[in-house]
Amino acid sequence: MTQAGPGAPPPRLVLIECPALEAPEGAAADGVERLRRFGQVIDALSSVCPWVDAVRPGVCTLPIKGPARYFGTEEAVLDRVGEAVRGALQGAGHREAPGADGAAFGGPAFRLGVAEGVFAATLAAKAGVTVPPGETPRFLAPWPVDVLGDPELADVLVRLGLSTLGRFAALPAPDVLARFGASGARCHRVARGFDGELPGYRMPGTGARLVAALGRSLALEAHQPGFWGGTSAADERAAEVLIVLQRRLGPEAVAVPVLEGGRGPADRCRLVPWRPPAAAPEPEGARRIPPEPPWPGRLPPPAPARVIATGRPAGPSQVERVNQAHQAHQAHQVELAGEDGAPVGVSGRGLLTGTPWRLSLAGGPWTSVAAWSAPWPAEERWWSRARRRAARLQVLTVDGAAYLLVTEHGRWRVEAVYD
Amino acid sequence: MFDTERLQVLAARVRPTAASRTRLLPTLPSIAALLPDGGLRRGTVVRCTGRAARSMALAVAAGPSAAGSWCALVGMDDVGALAAAGYGVDLERLVVVHVARAQWASAAATLADGLDLVVVVPPPHPRPAEVRMLVARARDRGAVILMVEERPSCPVDLELAVAEAGWHGLARGAGRLQSRRVTVVARGRGQAARPVRRELWLPAATGKAAAA
Repeated sequence: MTQAGPGAPPPRLVLIECPALEAPEGAAADGVERLRRFGQVIDALSSVCPWVDAVRPGVCTLPIKGPARYFGTEEAVLDRVGEAVRGALQGAGHREAPGADGAAFGGPAFRLGVAEGVFAATLAAKAGVTVPPGETPRFLAPWPVDVLGDPELADVLVRLGLSTLGRFAALPAPDVLARFGASGARCHRVARGFDGELPGYRMPGTGARLVAALGRSLALEAHQPGFWGGTSAADERAAEVLIVLQRRLGPEAVAVPVLEGGRGPADRCRLVPWRPPAAAPEPEGARRIPPEPPWPGRLPPPAPARVIATGRPAGPSQVERVNQAHQAHQAHQVELAGEDGAPVGVSGRGLLTGTPWRLSLAGGPWTSVAAWSAPWPAEERWWSRARRRAARLQVLTVDGAAYLLVTEHGRWRVEAVYD
Repeated sequence: MFDTERLQVLAARVRPTAASRTRLLPTLPSIAALLPDGGLRRGTVVRCTGRAARSMALAVAAGPSAAGSWCALVGMDDVGALAAAGYGVDLERLVVVHVARAQWASAAATLADGLDLVVVVPPPHPRPAEVRMLVARARDRGAVILMVEERPSCPVDLELAVAEAGWHGLARGAGRLQSRRVTVVARGRGQAARPVRRELWLPAATGKAAAA
């Protein structure tokens, strides 16, 4: 059978992992110290390449193609990366504690890996290898499925006899989607090497936390975007100000939309930090709608102009982000009621339990409903105990506003506004 | 055989170098009909207001974006990228800037230094001094600022007000949202002092903006 093509492979990058500098959110005082040290590592790395991506505290990546052109070979880049990280860790007074076997004394306090995509590069760092260009899918194949970080999915796969990424990857994409839903399909794309990153691995706001811990901007080297590539004068002018802005506000503050597979509008777009053009050469059309299996239950076009996603990335400060998320959560609660005032929901068979008559946003005044669609059922992870049963509904109110509502656990919220 | 489509794409990419000396950013034909100069004049401020203001702003941005200009969205973290792409905004030259309330104007001003188009949803009750600073910077640098707001925060060169909007395609328990017919009133300074009314599909069933 024909399958959806792979699209553009994830960018090739070197991943630097400093296990001792991992700092989970809400960590105590020494968490700030670890963030500060990690910030110094990033500063040191920016002398090798101006674009360092802080994926999460203790883990960062930098593109390897551009620097390899500049320094000659990938090995030369890795030498410089190793030197920079070692220097920063020593300068920061960081000493590796003796391990149980004593061998770790003076041993590596960091690991490097090179592969296509963050996920594969993490495994490459674990194995301490450089995966040759184009070999990432073959490198991934023998790893056990629990490296996908989804114990429930791994459990089901192992029971089906699919214990390695390679065997999981060999399943046809539409079957994976049908059996395991959107999140399973995303893991499948990662296992095949089509997507570079597992959802949830990246910690949004890491750059802003580093800026806060250091008490200053990250010392990314000033550089000429044209030196690293760039396609037109407009691109270079834009790159210059975007670099300035990222230095001031943190990398996540300047994001670009990436379209991907999914049913609802919130699943279909993700914001990722912008990166200068040639620092990580992006294949033509990387940001266009990717080839993918058909999504049953996908909403038809036109797409809504406002999409209210829960857990947006990128906040200038963590506290502000949490507050905003909380307010947003409140602000997007919806009540949908029939003429008799009774709430209207969606039955287990995917039908409305009443005739929508009026709608209230965030506890505000009621507005009469003028028109509504039949519900689009969407069930995610039906195979799991933590399954999500959701349904979507387009609703038009008499004042001309059009909403996409979604119901889960018997509650409605606004997922998008056709502004 | 020449790949003419590819050549057109390349031509569009290199155009901004030349266009930076010209004063007008090209727009979609349906939008050009609303603009006194038939294009977006550099260094001006345009307000989009009314029920479909965000769609209006995306449709206005589509033309310059397709021709090679970069576009930033400030205060619009919740933009539907699929809708933006549908109107014709090139996602490869679109950035979504997330800022704290206190920094919206300085971030927008920095963007105006290097990008042709900055779409801004200002916070409620922005400080007049901040707005003046942003407008002055756009005039100086030749960027176009699109303010998306209901309550005017500054005098603008042109206002595109969506006066009426009606969705088609959705019934009571059937159908789906397919297209929206809007009436847009454009009014501004100088040549644009006399209001211009146009009927548009925003979007048409294709997801694009079109004259109705």
